[in-house]
Amino acid sequence: MYKYLLCWRYLRTRYIALASVISVMLGVATMIVVNAVMAGFAEKMRDRLHGVLADIVVESEYDMNGFYNSDEVMARIKEVAGDDVKAMAPALETYGLLQYYSGGQRFTRQVQLIGVDPKQRALTGDFSEFLVDDQANSIPPSFDVPDSLRAAASPAAQLIEGDPNDPLNQALAEQAQLQVPDDGALIGWGLATFHYNDKDEFIIKRGDKIRIVYPKASQSPEPGADDFTVVGYFKSGMSENDSTHVYVPIKRFQFVRQMLDEEGRGAVNQIQLKVAEGVNLDVLKAKIQPALEALRPMYFRVATWEEKQGPLLSAVAVEQSILNILLFFIIAVAGFGILAIFSMIVVEKTRDIGIMKALGASTSGVRGIFLGYGLLLGAVGSGVGMAGGLLFVCYINDIEDWLSDISGRRVFDHSIYYFNEIPTLVEPWTVFWIVAGALFIATAASVWPAQRASKLHPVRALRFE
Amino acid sequence: MATYHLSAVGVEKAYRKGKNRVPVLHGVDLQAAPGELVAIIGASGSGKSTLLHVMGLLDAPDAGAVMLNDRRIDHLSDRQRDEIRNKTFGFIFQFYHLLPELNTLENVMMPHMIRLGLWEFFKQRKAIRRKATELLERVGLSHRLHHLPTELSGGEMQRTAIARALAGDPEVLLADEPTGNLDASTGQEVLELLRDLNRESGLTMIMVTHDTQIAQQSDRVVRLAEGRIEEWAPALA
Repeated sequence: MYKYLLCWRYLRTRYIALASVISVMLGVATMIVVNAVMAGFAEKMRDRLHGVLADIVVESEYDMNGFYNSDEVMARIKEVAGDDVKAMAPALETYGLLQYYSGGQRFTRQVQLIGVDPKQRALTGDFSEFLVDDQANSIPPSFDVPDSLRAAASPAAQLIEGDPNDPLNQALAEQAQLQVPDDGALIGWGLATFHYNDKDEFIIKRGDKIRIVYPKASQSPEPGADDFTVVGYFKSGMSENDSTHVYVPIKRFQFVRQMLDEEGRGAVNQIQLKVAEGVNLDVLKAKIQPALEALRPMYFRVATWEEKQGPLLSAVAVEQSILNILLFFIIAVAGFGILAIFSMIVVEKTRDIGIMKALGASTSGVRGIFLGYGLLLGAVGSGVGMAGGLLFVCYINDIEDWLSDISGRRVFDHSIYYFNEIPTLVEPWTVFWIVAGALFIATAASVWPAQRASKLHPVRALRFE
Repeated sequence: MATYHLSAVGVEKAYRKGKNRVPVLHGVDLQAAPGELVAIIGASGSGKSTLLHVMGLLDAPDAGAVMLNDRRIDHLSDRQRDEIRNKTFGFIFQFYHLLPELNTLENVMMPHMIRLGLWEFFKQRKAIRRKATELLERVGLSHRLHHLPTELSGGEMQRTAIARALAGDPEVLLADEPTGNLDASTGQEVLELLRDLNRESGLTMIMVTHDTQIAQQSDRVVRLAEGRIEEWAPALA
């Protein structure tokens, strides 16, 4: 009984020991905040990566020219997967170049060209949610060039008035056709803008004509080129995608790359699969792979979105665990603070320990006082730290605003990450392990002083000056 | 029926100072009969306190034995010795040795807090508290129940220590210079209190003092000189 009373009294009367747990508190709070923000970022990033890709991707792994029998492949997938697969969208993806004029100068960028059917593609992932106009407002998934855009972008089109069948109007329309190609393209937000003064300035506007250069289908590829009108932007928030992706209509892309066979079937080199909720992707993948193997051996590669983005996701995981290890050292350092202060307290309490032993307190009882005291200090430190950390996470955006106001500089630049606010995600188990770790360290740090206290000889302790 | 309540038989004890062995007790024999108040006097450094500590199981003898009701107790396990200290002995020290974080009442309840676990203490807390309050009333401190030791005078602290020593219902009271730190009149009051307790409850008491005035008020006085006991009579002083 005396153990609990004395632990409690020591806690309430020894402020120096409370000071020693401030570092535990700060360590716990920091770990909770950092983990919440990192988990928030990782979650957002996973969402976006997942959104750009579908759940499962079937590719012709080594053959950029792809396969013509996409209908057959999709039928086969449907056959083995049944209702597990909710939607499928073929795509033709290749590397290429993007050329555009800006300020009278020609620019060339290396890009990833993806021929898609926008309506189908919208069903397999978050494609349509990433499509925006220049005001960052959502636009429908379509490559159609709206008349308004055509009129605004073409001087010839602006002159058309009256009867469209009028020869003059027809000539002007023809001219407009050249200035504004019929086929639209959706290009990455990062390709179309540059970041200046905390703002995104456009270098490629909607309605601008761009030229893309691509390899034509053949065993030794030759370059081909075609013009498209920019109808919108692709803004997923993943800068790697936003600064390389160019989406064009798949039919047109197959045509200009000479990828139509005699039956008029176009080649694709990728099929994206949207899977029903709750279906285990790895299990489904293991079902699809052998089915396609039978169709054409050693050709198809079936991968879940996580496998496709494996290196990036594991890089984030590694980052997070390294950060956790480093931050845990803060708490470990705090443990040594507790050790030092506890050793002092044991010296200070030497005579009291002698008294308790004279009154019949056992060795383990005296040890219990100091171990309990350490645990209690750890509980106070990690409890306050946990509350502080969670409050900080809860109000992180207000705190960020406040810090930005004070420093006159944005702490968290929204436009860099395309986040309106700092994403956070509190994982209860993470919080639990952080608190448990801090408690363990506080208790472990008090083991040695407690052991020393319990081993004190009662007479020597009583005579201690 | 035991002749002696608590006795030391041929107790030897030496301390180590650096490389030197400093012998303190050379085969001390001391017996206290039930209800007897024995005073040990001796010059400073004569080993009075050491003898008391050995008899109170705070220290172990190098040779010899400590007997309680004719049963040897100095060689028992730590756990059994802890229990005897808690239940059979009550200690009073020269410097009071109260726990500074606890108030008077809590200090007096300490032997019970050590004896009982959390649940047992909780069940008996009312009785324990009542008993501690009664003891503090008995030593004249009913107005100081919730004061911290730092708020008490020397005499009050020693009376609190006496109440604490009695709280665990001991059979033997071991007092190490109980008046040593008090002025003459307060010391006399404390001694009278001990004397009364001895008469009322028949407690066996062994008291160490260097003050012959104080020692004379006990039933029997022994003198410790050069690590040996000799009977003392006032006439020899």
